[in-house]
Amino acid sequence: MVLAFALGAALVSGALALITYTVARHELLAQRTSSSLRQTYVNARLVKQELGAPSAHLADVLSSLQGTGGTESFIYRHGLWYGTSVSSSGSSLPAALVRSVRTGHVAEQRVLRAGQSAVVVGVPLPAIGIDYFEVHPLGELQGTIDLLAAVLGIAAAITTVGGALAGLWVSRRLVRPLTEVAQVATEVAGGSLDRRLPADPDLDPLVSAFNHMVAALQDRIERDTRFTSDVSHELRSPLTTIRASVELLDTYRDRLPAGGQRAVAALGVEVDRFSTMVQDLLEISRLDAGAADLRLTDVPLDQLVRHVAAASAGDLPLVVSPDAQGVVVRGDKRRLQRVFANLLDNAEIHAGGAVLVSLDRTGPWAVIGVEDAGPGVEAGERHRLFERFYRGAASGRRGSTTGTGLGLALVAEHVAAHGGTVRIEDPEHGGARFVVSLPVQEG
Amino acid sequence: MAPRILFVEDDRQMRHLLALSLRQEGYDVDEAETGEAALERFSQKGAEVVLVDLRLPGIDGFEVTRTLRRTHDVPIIMVTACDDSHDVVAGLEAGADDYVVKPVVAKELSARIRAVLRRLSVTALPSTVLRFGDVELHREAGTVYRDGKDVPLTRTEFKLLCELAAKPGWVLTRAQLLELVWDYDFFGDERLVDTHIGRLRAKIEDDPTNPTLIVTVRGLGYKLAP
Repeated sequence: MVLAFALGAALVSGALALITYTVARHELLAQRTSSSLRQTYVNARLVKQELGAPSAHLADVLSSLQGTGGTESFIYRHGLWYGTSVSSSGSSLPAALVRSVRTGHVAEQRVLRAGQSAVVVGVPLPAIGIDYFEVHPLGELQGTIDLLAAVLGIAAAITTVGGALAGLWVSRRLVRPLTEVAQVATEVAGGSLDRRLPADPDLDPLVSAFNHMVAALQDRIERDTRFTSDVSHELRSPLTTIRASVELLDTYRDRLPAGGQRAVAALGVEVDRFSTMVQDLLEISRLDAGAADLRLTDVPLDQLVRHVAAASAGDLPLVVSPDAQGVVVRGDKRRLQRVFANLLDNAEIHAGGAVLVSLDRTGPWAVIGVEDAGPGVEAGERHRLFERFYRGAASGRRGSTTGTGLGLALVAEHVAAHGGTVRIEDPEHGGARFVVSLPVQEG
Repeated sequence: MAPRILFVEDDRQMRHLLALSLRQEGYDVDEAETGEAALERFSQKGAEVVLVDLRLPGIDGFEVTRTLRRTHDVPIIMVTACDDSHDVVAGLEAGADDYVVKPVVAKELSARIRAVLRRLSVTALPSTVLRFGDVELHREAGTVYRDGKDVPLTRTEFKLLCELAAKPGWVLTRAQLLELVWDYDFFGDERLVDTHIGRLRAKIEDDPTNPTLIVTVRGLGYKLAP
């Protein structure tokens, strides 16, 4: 911004200075030249008169011509030069000019003589057979012009500096508040909803609109969060009662007839599934509202995976590569547990159970693989599996053996919240391998 | 003698059913529908474990916990619908020993009750009286003195202190403490350890914000300064 202003000021003032200088110089020189011309004419006439008289002596005529301000006069007659100056002779006059005059034309030319500017004027006087030349020094004029140039240059420089200062001022008044707006907007987007912009006289409409928007956003998010937590509470209570009821019924199962026993068994399974689904939904809605509070600790991944594997299917082979021993990730233990438990459940439901769990380390990533020997997953289906309620090939079949449709969606959400990725691969032996990559915690 | 549980829950149906299941597990369950009724009941009949729902009409579970703690060290287990830090930490700081999250089944409650009752027994200590700083720990009596004055500790706090005191100068990780004191496996909630350490420090340190007896070892856990 400052640069732009300085450059603009420099350009404008520079152009102005240049134009002023050029025009002034041109005018001054032109004036001087024409006055020199007139002066020369006058003197030429004088010379003509004087030399016309029979008793005229060239030297006397010349000396009577001592011009003002160091003007030198020269006469060319019959191939010889005569001049008033002791320091220079007529042969120092520009040849082209002399030739021009000798052919009968009046001529003028600006020259540099001994470091000084001068105007040379030549007038032919054919009636008396001489050519008359005058040299008018422009020293003073040159000095004036140089002074003008200097003054204009300084003025342009000052204007440029002034422009830079103006730019600085503008940037302070305008750009900094705008940068501040951008900064606060970034903070709000990052989650600090209580940030507001301070009042600013220049940007008042922007500031008030922005603050209003952030307040509305904060309000909406608070309402969503409160709704989520209210719903959460409202659902958990009846669920608790239902589960407690089922649990109690189960203890009386032996006393029930066959039909009753079937009913209680089915009730138990469905209530469990329903309970899991409700909790999954609540979790997802918390993640959506940005209200999930991840409790981050340093989690030794190999231990976590080992525990989850042990809890689900007794003797699941777990292969931990040597450089993945003791690898630690920064994460929420419970949620990471959910991730792997869900992957194992998914393998159980759709592929007859996981056959291998592996833990590797590639550079900054800890890579966990859950493999099964089931039907595998087609390339087209792979990213869809992580959608909510998508059941793939199993859709349409609703029974107690199918999951809630949210297991993999939660896996994807939780893994993303931990800065990791999850994908499905095709192992050589068939089936599917779910691969979760998580960033390793260094140090 | 069946251990007596005081179960405070305003949802009648839930309370009845869970109480029934708990009775089947062998506990003697007293029911209270409000915080006020619970405090009344406790002062009359006492209990060995108090199970309290945080959300109650009238005085809430936090208040019941705080009130009980002023005069008793009875083990308190919170029942909460939400395991977000706000409720859990507030409840633990109010004085609860542990918590369970709804929807909860009687089996889970029973496991937690058993765990807290087991806290009566402590790990092997080198001697029956341990001294550190101006603190005296009498293992068998289950009492702690500071500067000669009795310091009331809950069973959980006492057990935690004993575990740390059994290995002076050794660092115990949160995972280890969760297992030793609370009987939790790998997935125990580390907030339990952190809040209880805070409570212990408030009771036995000269300056709880600059602890000299129970020291935090960054990135690892806690230890009793040797």
